Amino acid sequence: MTQQTQGSRLEIHGVHKNFGDFSALRDINLTIEPGELVCFLGPSGCGKTTLLRIIAGLEQQSAGQLLQGNDDISLKPPKDRDFGIVFQSYALFPNMTVTANIAYGLHSVGTPKARIRERVAELLEMIGLAEHARKYPAQLSGGQQQRVALARALAPSPGLLLLDEPLSALDAKVRHHLRSEIRSLQKQLGVTTIMVTHDQEEALAMADRVVVMNNGVIEQVGTPLEIYQQPQSAFVAEFIGAMNFIDSAPLNGQRVMVGNRAVDVVRPLPEGKGGVRLAIRPEDVHLLPSGDGDWEGRVEAMDYLGAFIRTQVRLTDVALDLVVDVDPRSARQLELAVGNRICLHLPSDALHCFAA
Amino acid sequence: MAGLRQKLSDRGPFAALLVAGCAVLSLLVLAPLYTLLSKSVENRAGEFVGLENFARYLSSGGIESAFLNSLWVAGLSTVIVVGLAFMAAWALTRTRLPLTGWVRGVLVLPILAPSLLPAISLVYLFGNQGVLKGWLFGAEIYGPIGIVMGSCFWTFPHALMILLTAMDNADGRHYEAASALKASAWRTFWTVTVPGARYGLVSAAFVVFTLVITDFGVPKVIGGQFDVLATDIYKQVIGQQRFEMGAVVSVLLLLPAMLAFFADRYVQRKQSASFTARSVPYKARADRKRDVLGALVLTPTVVFILAIIAMAVYASFVTFWPYNLDLSLNNYQFGRMDGGGWGAYFNSLQLALGTMVLGTVLVFFNAWLMERTPQPKILTGVFQFLSLLPLAVPGLVLGLSYIFFFNHPDNLLNGIYGTLLILILCTVSHFYAVSHLTAVTALKQLDKEFEAVGESLKASRWRVLFTVTLPLCLPAILDVALYLFVNAMTTVSAVVFLYGPNSQLASVAVLSMDEAGDIAPAAAMAILITVTCAGAKLIQGALRFWVDRSTRAWRQGTE
Repeated sequence: MTQQTQGSRLEIHGVHKNFGDFSALRDINLTIEPGELVCFLGPSGCGKTTLLRIIAGLEQQSAGQLLQGNDDISLKPPKDRDFGIVFQSYALFPNMTVTANIAYGLHSVGTPKARIRERVAELLEMIGLAEHARKYPAQLSGGQQQRVALARALAPSPGLLLLDEPLSALDAKVRHHLRSEIRSLQKQLGVTTIMVTHDQEEALAMADRVVVMNNGVIEQVGTPLEIYQQPQSAFVAEFIGAMNFIDSAPLNGQRVMVGNRAVDVVRPLPEGKGGVRLAIRPEDVHLLPSGDGDWEGRVEAMDYLGAFIRTQVRLTDVALDLVVDVDPRSARQLELAVGNRICLHLPSDALHCFAA
Repeated sequence: MAGLRQKLSDRGPFAALLVAGCAVLSLLVLAPLYTLLSKSVENRAGEFVGLENFARYLSSGGIESAFLNSLWVAGLSTVIVVGLAFMAAWALTRTRLPLTGWVRGVLVLPILAPSLLPAISLVYLFGNQGVLKGWLFGAEIYGPIGIVMGSCFWTFPHALMILLTAMDNADGRHYEAASALKASAWRTFWTVTVPGARYGLVSAAFVVFTLVITDFGVPKVIGGQFDVLATDIYKQVIGQQRFEMGAVVSVLLLLPAMLAFFADRYVQRKQSASFTARSVPYKARADRKRDVLGALVLTPTVVFILAIIAMAVYASFVTFWPYNLDLSLNNYQFGRMDGGGWGAYFNSLQLALGTMVLGTVLVFFNAWLMERTPQPKILTGVFQFLSLLPLAVPGLVLGLSYIFFFNHPDNLLNGIYGTLLILILCTVSHFYAVSHLTAVTALKQLDKEFEAVGESLKASRWRVLFTVTLPLCLPAILDVALYLFVNAMTTVSAVVFLYGPNSQLASVAVLSMDEAGDIAPAAAMAILITVTCAGAKLIQGALRFWVDRSTRAWRQGTE
């Protein structure tokens, strides 16, 4: 169907960015492999969009080097770099038809007319909008506009595709659909892709690797599974999914004190003498009938969230509330209800340890 | 961490172009103004004398008469105009009166006429041989009464347009909330309508005040012995050839205008958009009593404006007022009077077209550089200041500055003095600020990533400019073009010092014919100017209609 584009490899070495006194990015090092889809994920203001704009050449880094393939692009203006970009607003040219929008970049490089027609038809086919070719952007739905923006960016077969929050302006349903569509398109074309998002679900669902950013630094790089199961910092643990935190003091070896009770942990404890923050995901806490577990508690609140029940349990021994996700069947077996007493088990292999 | 020495290589040329833009504006506004300021502290021989000129003007009684006269006449006109314009805007936006489109059309008519027209018309209505002289109970129209009435006529549309913009976008939810809380119509008016329009009111007041205090046409024709700053400058310079005193009065005129300008900027900065994407447009409900009230507040203004225009039209056709009331075209045979005749009219047409073309290109190109190309922050700040500065400089002051600056023997551009070119340059500068604001507003509304997308698609900013930006800005471009044309056609204040033997102008001809006592031909020329502007407005309206129709598909998303 479509030609296979060879995605390029991108290396980022020691990139810094300052806006006046404010340091927006600090010492960013990252290598992105050809054909990979990488998500920059983080709260607003973490620097992810700035990093994307530096890769595009729309902002200039204060220091550092960028390599695309073997090509040093650090100082090249955007038009000498090889990338396609889709913005949150799509920035489709409203005075041009879908066809003219997609053909815009091909005209720039002097592609022969016949070839342009061919390529546009091919792309329209690919995004499934062939019958809308002569319409203007304002006559299309949000999802359709998004696809046109994607086709426009892909038309000159760039080695690198940059997506700046491409789905956040869309309804939830369209968003879910487009997620898988973009992903399969990207795999099919093999184009190296960087997507900026603040939506963790989106990042986990689409990315080969996720780059979690906070306050201008990279907190962790890893596959979605690694990021979720082995968060390397308290920030990542809390930002991705839900997490309970429990303060504790180191005791000896692999044991820590929570309140006046010793707890065994499997994962390595943080270095240094300070306290330890234990963390456990709501779905990893086991609820047991009263009298069966190591921790006693009382059910304070229950929220029915469809597939599971988010339960808030107050521990009896230590002043602490834990959030626990329970499936409805177990809840029935436990006769879970607000005010009831319950026992909890915290599996030691599910306990994460962070420096306090 | 070593900072990068080199810059991305494409930034330089655009910054250089904007620096050039700054240089042009400095040459056309800042440098002449500086010359004027330095002239005000020099004596005739060009020696520095400090504030001596000011002291002389003060001791001659000029402050008490002209300065204070200017202030109170402008103040009174402001109160009347803003009051009437607010009532009119209320009636047009909060009632369900029929024909509001036509009423709006009539109310903004004065903008197409030179400010001399109402003054001439008032002479015919209330002057010594006026048809309604008795209505003044023996008071003189020549003086403050005439100036205030004439000023009200031609500044009214400016206030109305600002207030309509402020009140058109009312949030219906506020009115629903007020009525759900059982507020009376009167209380709703004071707690919802008036606060919603407060920035518009302040802005309109500053605009009207500045327009009146800097206007020269009305007081010149109907001011009689009543001195104001604007006529005083003219007298000092044209009458007595005392240029340094003209400069002194100019500085005095610059002060209130500058003050109003900065106060307005300050207030506008505090304004935030109250009409958001979530607001629901207000729709007036049927209310008989309110409609009647609306008609009542609109009627006097509509009648006044129509009466002034009708009187001028009628007077221009009357053979010899008041003795021979037969209608004829005698007054349109300008060749027989002073002032340059039909040649002046065609000069004005050239001036208007030249200003329109040069001004629109310059304004849009500079605004595009500022808004849509990568620029150092400092540079855009400087440029924004230079672009808005003309708003604070009265036309007469600008004109006088041009004499000092361009007529100086050492000035390399000395050759353009007395030509049509200097008139075009002066008029472009005079009306630069409003055009600039219109262009910037239009450019800001475009998606800020167009250029970034263009670059990623290997298209230069120039290609994006011509294929995307300009087509999208076409309506705003047409608006700026019309604004410049109409103002160049009607303006008197700046050009009155600058025309030469071969570049006499229609608006100035109105003035000279009136001065020579040929008041009917003056009225005829004023009408001719008005009709020309109305023609330009019709052409522009037709073009906008055509643009809207041919671009409807991509503007509204329906075929």
